[in-house]
Amino acid sequence: MSDTVLHRPATLHAALELLADNPDAHAIAGGVSLVAIINAQLLAPTALVSLRGIGELEGIRATPDGGIAIGAMTRHRAVAAEARLRGPLGCVSEAARSIASPPVRNMGTIGGSISLGDPGADLPPALVAVDATIEIANARRTRRLSAREFFVDWYTTALEPGELVTAVRLPASESGTACYEKLVRVAGDICIASVALSVSSSGTARAALGGCGPAPVFSDEADALLSRGLGDAASVQAAGAALGRVAKPMDDVRGSADYRRMLIPRMLARAAARAFAQLERAA
Amino acid sequence: MSVGRRLPRVDAREKTDGRARYIGDVERPGMLHAAILGSGCAHAIIEGYDLTEALAAPGVRAIVTGDDCPDARMGAFIKDEHAIAKGKVRYVGEPVAAVAADTLAQAQAACRLIQVRYRDLAAVLTPTEALAPGACILHEDVAAYEKVFDAGSHGNLCSRTSYAEGDVDASWPECDLVLEDWFEAHAQAHDALEPVGALAEVDANGRVTLWSANQSVFRVQANVCESLDLPMSRLRCLTPRIGGGFGNKMEAHVQPITVMLALKSGRPVRLILTRPDDFEMVRVRHPARVRVKTGAKRDGTLVAREVEVILDGGAYADDSPGVLSFMLRMCSGPYRFRAVKAHGKVVYTNKLRSGAFRGFGQPQVQFGCEQHVDEIAKRIGMDPFDLRRRNQKQAGERWFGGQDVRSCGLAQCMDAAERASGWRNRRRGGKADEGRLRGMGMAVTAHISATLATGAIVRMLEDGSIVLNTGATDIGQGSDTVLGQICAAALRLDPRDIAIAGPDTDGSPYNWGTTASRVTYTTGRSVQAAARDVERQAKEQAAEILECSIDDLELREGGAVGIAGVPGKQVTFRDISRRAHWRRGGPIIGRHSWVFDKPSIDPKRAVAIGNPSNAAGVFSFGAVVVEVEVDTVTGKTRVLRAWSAVDVGKAINPAAVEGQIEGAFVQGMGYALVEELVWDGGRLANPTLMDYKIPTFRDTPYDIETIIVEAPEPDAPFGAKGAGEIGINVVAAAIANAVTDATGVRFTKLPLSSERVLRALLSAPADKGGR
Amino acid sequence: MSIACRLNVNGAIQSVEVDGAETLLTTLRERLALLGAKRGCDQGVCGACTVLMDGMPVRACLSLAANCADSPLTTIEALNRDALGRDLQHAFVELGAVQCGFCTSGMLLTAYALLRDNPSAELDDVREALSGNLCRCSGYRKIIDAVLHVARPRGS
Repeated sequence: MSDTVLHRPATLHAALELLADNPDAHAIAGGVSLVAIINAQLLAPTALVSLRGIGELEGIRATPDGGIAIGAMTRHRAVAAEARLRGPLGCVSEAARSIASPPVRNMGTIGGSISLGDPGADLPPALVAVDATIEIANARRTRRLSAREFFVDWYTTALEPGELVTAVRLPASESGTACYEKLVRVAGDICIASVALSVSSSGTARAALGGCGPAPVFSDEADALLSRGLGDAASVQAAGAALGRVAKPMDDVRGSADYRRMLIPRMLARAAARAFAQLERAA
Repeated sequence: MSVGRRLPRVDAREKTDGRARYIGDVERPGMLHAAILGSGCAHAIIEGYDLTEALAAPGVRAIVTGDDCPDARMGAFIKDEHAIAKGKVRYVGEPVAAVAADTLAQAQAACRLIQVRYRDLAAVLTPTEALAPGACILHEDVAAYEKVFDAGSHGNLCSRTSYAEGDVDASWPECDLVLEDWFEAHAQAHDALEPVGALAEVDANGRVTLWSANQSVFRVQANVCESLDLPMSRLRCLTPRIGGGFGNKMEAHVQPITVMLALKSGRPVRLILTRPDDFEMVRVRHPARVRVKTGAKRDGTLVAREVEVILDGGAYADDSPGVLSFMLRMCSGPYRFRAVKAHGKVVYTNKLRSGAFRGFGQPQVQFGCEQHVDEIAKRIGMDPFDLRRRNQKQAGERWFGGQDVRSCGLAQCMDAAERASGWRNRRRGGKADEGRLRGMGMAVTAHISATLATGAIVRMLEDGSIVLNTGATDIGQGSDTVLGQICAAALRLDPRDIAIAGPDTDGSPYNWGTTASRVTYTTGRSVQAAARDVERQAKEQAAEILECSIDDLELREGGAVGIAGVPGKQVTFRDISRRAHWRRGGPIIGRHSWVFDKPSIDPKRAVAIGNPSNAAGVFSFGAVVVEVEVDTVTGKTRVLRAWSAVDVGKAINPAAVEGQIEGAFVQGMGYALVEELVWDGGRLANPTLMDYKIPTFRDTPYDIETIIVEAPEPDAPFGAKGAGEIGINVVAAAIANAVTDATGVRFTKLPLSSERVLRALLSAPADKGGR
Repeated sequence: MSIACRLNVNGAIQSVEVDGAETLLTTLRERLALLGAKRGCDQGVCGACTVLMDGMPVRACLSLAANCADSPLTTIEALNRDALGRDLQHAFVELGAVQCGFCTSGMLLTAYALLRDNPSAELDDVREALSGNLCRCSGYRKIIDAVLHVARPRGS
């Protein structure tokens, strides 16, 4: 598009000011989703605000409370390889490892990815399962939302115009385990369905599903059942049923809504068995 | 001797350096860029266009619509297609208008400003709807269209064909076991990595030069000239490097439209389809419903087979009549049935046209046929290989319809695949406790190469080096290399000393095209004959130079002719050629041309109605074994290992043959398991690589073993037969048989997606792997 | 809006004027006459456009040219300057890993980055690293064989 203005601010503040002043402008992170949409002629932005090179958005660092903050511009490749994402946080790195392909993981970012609100994306259910917090800023203020609140609907997050994700915070993790089960037609595909499961060794379990609704699917009832009986087939089955009751899967080219409903308890059981076995091995 | 050697391809080096030039890389001075507007309607009358806004848009130099092309039609079998939609549109995505502008972005923007007034017609989206009484008709004038055969077209019936040998109806009562099932095979997208494209330029004399991604410069020429009413002498067609074809680039795609834009604008115009347009505008593998009925005796003798095929042809006939007839002729499989009856129809529907795709209907029909043979083996308790051995065709016998089978390596293929796969020792049943079931399955096939017309010209340049010109397009399968090897072997030269001229309708002899597995045999035979013609002329010269009889002479390595038994007495090609050029005889030009003319149907043996072909017929054979693993939690199936034994007569270049077999296997695996075009009404719902998936490295087993078998074909160049398609034919069938082995469930619909397999597992009785 | 941009391509600084939303693939092919990177899907899926940025495989079709100014870029045209690159090209040619060739540029660059970082790469490393490069012709087998042929076995 020869008319597109590309802004390359050096600081977060400058980026946020640009977004405030140009309501039609789109922020561009890794570009893997946005440039594909532009190439497909589905969007012809008049202005782009590039977040590349803004130091405040980069890096993975420990936070004072013992948790981890992942800067919004952190590439999937780095999240996938991050050693500190272990134990109950392991589903986040495992989810990152399953995104698309290595070259796309070299480019795509956590902030860009979650801002898209793609119902089939991998990081959203993993972040819900670990109870992540999303840090958001606009030109005037910052705020935080839980991952559960952040993903709202089909390609819709809680981001308001002019807002950017600045970081994803993961809570301090005790020991435990996690896993990310993903069913795809071929490697690198968007999931047909996925299950992110995070379990602390004290017994708290949290599960979230991808590809089974407009946003990650989760259920306190399911989490309670999994927490009580991760290794108990009846509890896991009941948890699967609870998730199935709140899931809102759709038909798409990868599979039918009905198939996804069938998969939920089956894939959850597989994830639970895997997590249970991992805990046993660690013990 | 270069035949049989794994020589590197002549075009490989440039492809590893990034220097190979494909149509997207070809540029001409002053070139414009073009984009196409596709129809949003599945079926509608075009009432008019308003181009005002589009013509005024920045950079726009020309716009063409159906108003710019004559009422002339092209089509390989039934001439039912205009160069661009004219008067009506018949599928979503059908090109309706095209723009040439200074930049691609400008052309695309202008397309969005074109207004087309449509009057919607009812759309028929399946053969059943299309054939229903009162259905809206796509081609009202179908009866009047020019056709190359008796197609029987009327209403939405595009063509019908039947073949029958023996009396099937009388045979069923003699069978101990009769199976009858409907099978459904789906559409597949070729998805060559290079989208289709063309570049047309008109010279000062009004002559058009047209480069395009194609599988035949001569089919391009015919299609463009027929649809635009141009004499063929006014159009020169050339070929850059091609990024894969698989059938998508054999018949017309954007070439007629590109020529229209070049003629209208007076400037060179390049049109490369975007990937979504490539999915939506060109062609797909035929969706097919196939009824298979197979009868056998308890001792394993196959007695009778009946096959009924309904092909969804989409909006235009394209290669459909050929695909139908080929499926029907091959539905007997390589077996000695007493009676075979095969009949079918191609039906017009308001969807993207179906056309040629590797296998040409075999993957669809064999999905049913080879499962039947497998099921018969199961029910009578016979090993599937042994059942096939009991009934297999042999050399010297005749194929269904009457074609002579003059070479047959099927037995060796089966032995090799059986042995390599460890079939006899295979473990039955899988590891059900880990939620995964394993199974093995096999299938056999035959394919036909050799058809239609081809030629070769071999010229000796002044210095004795050689130029080979066949008009055959190398689409990546390696024909330039293979034909060069044949020529070099015939003249006892190093293949590196043979220059391969690119296909050019101005300079190349006619070659029907790179399709139907035909180039190695059909063109190779011409190359060999033309080389022999060169040999003869060279020997005539040498006989005069050496003052001996022609009969005393032999070719020598490295380009020379000498007196047999007298090592010192020889004359080089160089000296021969100089003499020919400057003193006596004239430049040495070897030539050969032929058309395969043995009819495929012998009226004394078989009855044929609506036979569109075309003589065709030397037979390659193959046997495939696969080992699969089915995930019982999700239904997802993967191939763990595969063995594909193929009788290619003679592997001129074994590495090239393996490349074809390996690639065909994976393309067939994709078709069987994950590739699925999804229609939402008349619109393709997944015309992108994000949404239509082919196997990646991680989905493909490393252990795909190709076993080359050589049962030489008489009259073939060094015995060689075709190898391009046979590797895909029974991959879906073998995988289906393997999944049945693993789960106990039979599948009559493709693809064996994880959803389909899981549903089948859950509804099957527990003892058949269900739960 | 045109942006003046200095791209470091194959070791040479190229000054180009690019549009705001112009992709690196378009810049390479249309302004710098580097035609080796191919356009197969423009969506980042097929891999035919893969080039190296800061030594890592990326999709040129999804990269904004103006955003690439700080990063050294390597395209297929420069692969033969390097012994490992030449070895890979040679292996692809000799072992029949090139058919239509449309995937080859992206394949070679990705394989190069793999073997440079992991000279003893094994089968699963190769399949994982190349999993974002599609090939429709070869069935992948000979490409794997060519890459493994160049890889140095562990301990050697």
